[in-house]
Amino acid sequence: MTDDSTATGRRRRGVSARQRPLWLLAPGGVLMTLIIVIPLLLALYISLIDLDQYTLRRWLDAPFIGLSNFTEAFGSGLPHSIWISVSFAVIATAATVPFGIAAAVATQNAYRGRALVRAVFLIPYVLPSFVVATVWRTMLQPDGIVNTVLAKAGVAGGLWLSGPKSYWTLVLVEIWAAWPFIYLMALAGLQSVDHEVYEASAIDGADWWPKLTRVVLPYLRGPVLLACLLATLNHINNFTLPYVLFGAPAPDDVNVMPMIVYVTSFQGLRFGLSAAMAIVSLLLVAIPLFAYLRALRLDVHEDGDRT
Amino acid sequence: MTASGEAHRLLPRPLLAGVTVSLCAMVLVPTLYIVLASLNTDLGVASGEFWPGAFSLDSYSRIWTTADLATGLLNSIVVCALVAVASALLGTMTAYVLVRYTFLGRLTILRGLVGLQSVPGTLMLLPVFVLFSSAGNYLGVTVVGTRWGLFLAYLTFALPFSTWVMVTYLRGLPRELEEAGRMDGASTLRILFRIIVPLSLPAIVVSGIFAFLLGWNDVLFASVLTRPETHTAAVALSAFGATQEGGALPVYSQVMAAALISAAPVVLLYLVFQRYLVGGLTAGGVK
Amino acid sequence: MSRRRMRAVVALAGALTLTAGLAACGDGDEGGGGGGKTLNVLIGANTQYPQEFRAWQASISDKFKAQTGASVKFEEFATANDELTKIQTSVVSGTGPDVYAVGTTLTPTAYSTGAFVKLDDERWQKAGGRDRFVPATLGISGPDEQNQVGIPFVSRPFVMVYNTELLKAAGISKPATTWDELRQHAKQLTKGDQHGLAVAYKDNFDPWKFVWGMSVQAGNPLVDGRTARIQDPVVKQAYQTYFGWLTTDKVVDPAAIGWTNAQAIAAFAEGKTGYMALTSTTAAKALDGGKVKGKWSFALLPTVPPGATARPANGVEAASILSGDNLLVADYSKNQDLAFQFVKLITEQDAQLDYYKAVGSLPANAAALTSLQSDQKLVPVAQAAQKSVATPFTGAWADIQLAMTNVVVQSIPDLAKGSVGDAQLDGRLADAQKAAQSALDRAK
Repeated sequence: MTDDSTATGRRRRGVSARQRPLWLLAPGGVLMTLIIVIPLLLALYISLIDLDQYTLRRWLDAPFIGLSNFTEAFGSGLPHSIWISVSFAVIATAATVPFGIAAAVATQNAYRGRALVRAVFLIPYVLPSFVVATVWRTMLQPDGIVNTVLAKAGVAGGLWLSGPKSYWTLVLVEIWAAWPFIYLMALAGLQSVDHEVYEASAIDGADWWPKLTRVVLPYLRGPVLLACLLATLNHINNFTLPYVLFGAPAPDDVNVMPMIVYVTSFQGLRFGLSAAMAIVSLLLVAIPLFAYLRALRLDVHEDGDRT
Repeated sequence: MTASGEAHRLLPRPLLAGVTVSLCAMVLVPTLYIVLASLNTDLGVASGEFWPGAFSLDSYSRIWTTADLATGLLNSIVVCALVAVASALLGTMTAYVLVRYTFLGRLTILRGLVGLQSVPGTLMLLPVFVLFSSAGNYLGVTVVGTRWGLFLAYLTFALPFSTWVMVTYLRGLPRELEEAGRMDGASTLRILFRIIVPLSLPAIVVSGIFAFLLGWNDVLFASVLTRPETHTAAVALSAFGATQEGGALPVYSQVMAAALISAAPVVLLYLVFQRYLVGGLTAGGVK
Repeated sequence: MSRRRMRAVVALAGALTLTAGLAACGDGDEGGGGGGKTLNVLIGANTQYPQEFRAWQASISDKFKAQTGASVKFEEFATANDELTKIQTSVVSGTGPDVYAVGTTLTPTAYSTGAFVKLDDERWQKAGGRDRFVPATLGISGPDEQNQVGIPFVSRPFVMVYNTELLKAAGISKPATTWDELRQHAKQLTKGDQHGLAVAYKDNFDPWKFVWGMSVQAGNPLVDGRTARIQDPVVKQAYQTYFGWLTTDKVVDPAAIGWTNAQAIAAFAEGKTGYMALTSTTAAKALDGGKVKGKWSFALLPTVPPGATARPANGVEAASILSGDNLLVADYSKNQDLAFQFVKLITEQDAQLDYYKAVGSLPANAAALTSLQSDQKLVPVAQAAQKSVATPFTGAWADIQLAMTNVVVQSIPDLAKGSVGDAQLDGRLADAQKAAQSALDRAK
């Protein structure tokens, strides 16, 4: 709570203490408690019981087994999967940022056909995941279009959907499908850049690169860092893409976390164990997230000061 | 363009052209494949053809009977549009309080929102269903199978994100803008809707788009929370992906055609709303 | 200002319309006609013959209404996973469809939840009696005769398909009946850009079906009571045979390591492949759309294990896994009597033949299947239906199946390099054995 007592906070306390319309938080709060927090607690309970196809019908009577599911989760392939998921997610996020920012900057100034270009940039994000995955899977077949083109250039494409390269296939397809997310967030961020700021820098005769990096990009810091955080989460939880690209069971190189949670839950039918796996990974993901939030000071009061 | 317009340009012309063309190419090559595949035969797609041997618009007429895509599209548009509007509004309200006021637990809420955002859907599916169906069993309120049940679920899942988008944006709005209104004794709601909302349109549009797409692309929850007459476009689409066990070809060309058809409303909506994606501060005019 | 107000009015009107739309279908989905009951039936979507499928649904609904006064509402699921999710949520909450059409391999899983009605003699009578079905189709209705839950609906036996012209040109007079013969034929058929065999190595289901078939024929049913028998010379030989087609015999297109079943069919339909080793009647439409139109024929899969000329004494003549759909009635259903009446209706000879005509699924009704024997093309398929053998009836089967497929999935990079090492195969078999055994240990 130390962050609360920043200078701005203290300065404003007089006003805010009098008329804080905290009731505005109520509608969202009620919904999130009811539809996320309560189910989450239920999921937590499920992770502590031996819930499988044999006990599903009378799940309230399923034997309480404490942390057994958690110990079993750690003994299984989960740590390996978490490692794959996290590294994949971080690489994918890092790679999408330049694309997203470049696209946002390129569509900031009006020109004929800009609306169309903006719509085109949205396409990968709008296509359903399973279609994107089906398309890439077809193109990346051993005798598919990608390898055919590569062969013409004298390069042997090899296997994209099995073996060590499948990891990079996952990364590349995810980048293709996810960069518009960063783009949209960066675009929103650009809109908060003051006209006068441009004009000032124009008068200074600033060249485009310094102008971009020193004047414009700082405005994008908040939205893009937030976008990175959420994009990483989305990558980590993405199930459809690896599932349709590689099938289940997945090759070891792309046996990502949602995949093993899914297989445990829907093919092994061990709902208790899969809930435990999901919670373990949730915790392992959430801790660095909060560290990230703190380190980048995304969650502190800035009050419009950009210094 | 005038000289001043030229001066505001963020990128030099050649670079602008280069970036735009290469990004468009990156997007459009696989998209072209989808278009071509939708015009091909299933056998042609399965055997890996890029350029169809014979073109046919057949798939575009057949998708409407293979699965109930029309009902799905209508349901999706209704549910997702409302989710978009509602989550943007609730998100703005929540974010405004979180940005402008300090109170005990503010940081916990902000961080908690990110925590909620990171909960995987597969973990939530069973508990949410149990919750919704017990509303039917014990309270006599049918939630499962209704559109508003789906609406509530999507709205809630979209809220943490919408709120954070608005928090990031509102933080950048100078407090002075609303100070005048406050001096006039305007109520918080009035300030919110008369001053904050018009100034935040770009962020509202973005958070709306994301909320819309969250519902639009979800199959997991829709598949268990809907009935045939309330199913969404994503559920209808996933039916195209159904493989008949035992050797029939998937209806590839219909999958592609249906994907393009169901992407179209979203792109159109975006074309309509993208004009609000211009500088909120400049458009709103700083007094 | 007036323009802004105008816009606000338009926005408000839009929001109201949408809200009205939201509520429109809110209630009333319970509504049956005039106080009559509604029976909810969950069945797999059919993308091949959607219109015919709808028409069949409509005509069954009409008949059912005429018989009982109640109406039927069909809900469709897209994939097995989709269906499992539905079963899972319904079982937990005690609400959902009254009747489920469930794939045979999913039936043991459904049985193990205990949420479906067990069929005593009285219920079997209500459903039309056991006698009306092809005896083999009852093989996966339950763990034993006293504990059956599944009523056969359709049969989907697996067969091979071969290119009649290519076989003739290679001087092969009739399709192979042993796995060794199949390999021999495939070698004869492979030349230039022509391949002897199309196999889908990257399919999620095909691989275990081959291995299971070869093993059962050699006398190893893979599950022996509560013991998994995957680490076994017979199983190893099955895998080696399966891999060998590509690595040592070189009778398969190298691209097959990326194929799913659908792509193997597409390759066969090009007319440059002798045999496609695992398919069913549903492929007919695709085959007739390709270059092999009029040049293909179904045949029984080999029933003599690899490396042998005759089946060993304990080997089983398994031409196919017992495949198809069973009907299950949910025990939470408040309309169980109606449910059995419905089951009876759709397993009658006429209804089964109508269904065959509509979507091409083979009847489970014995009389209906017999009446189809006049179609020469179907003879091998009908034989396969009679020679189908059930996979082990255990709640652990889903895990075992997965473990067996995983052996192939992890071997694909080796396949691409041209050989799967002995040590690697042993290691993967040991992993599969471990996974299968632990699933069996958990079974209750």
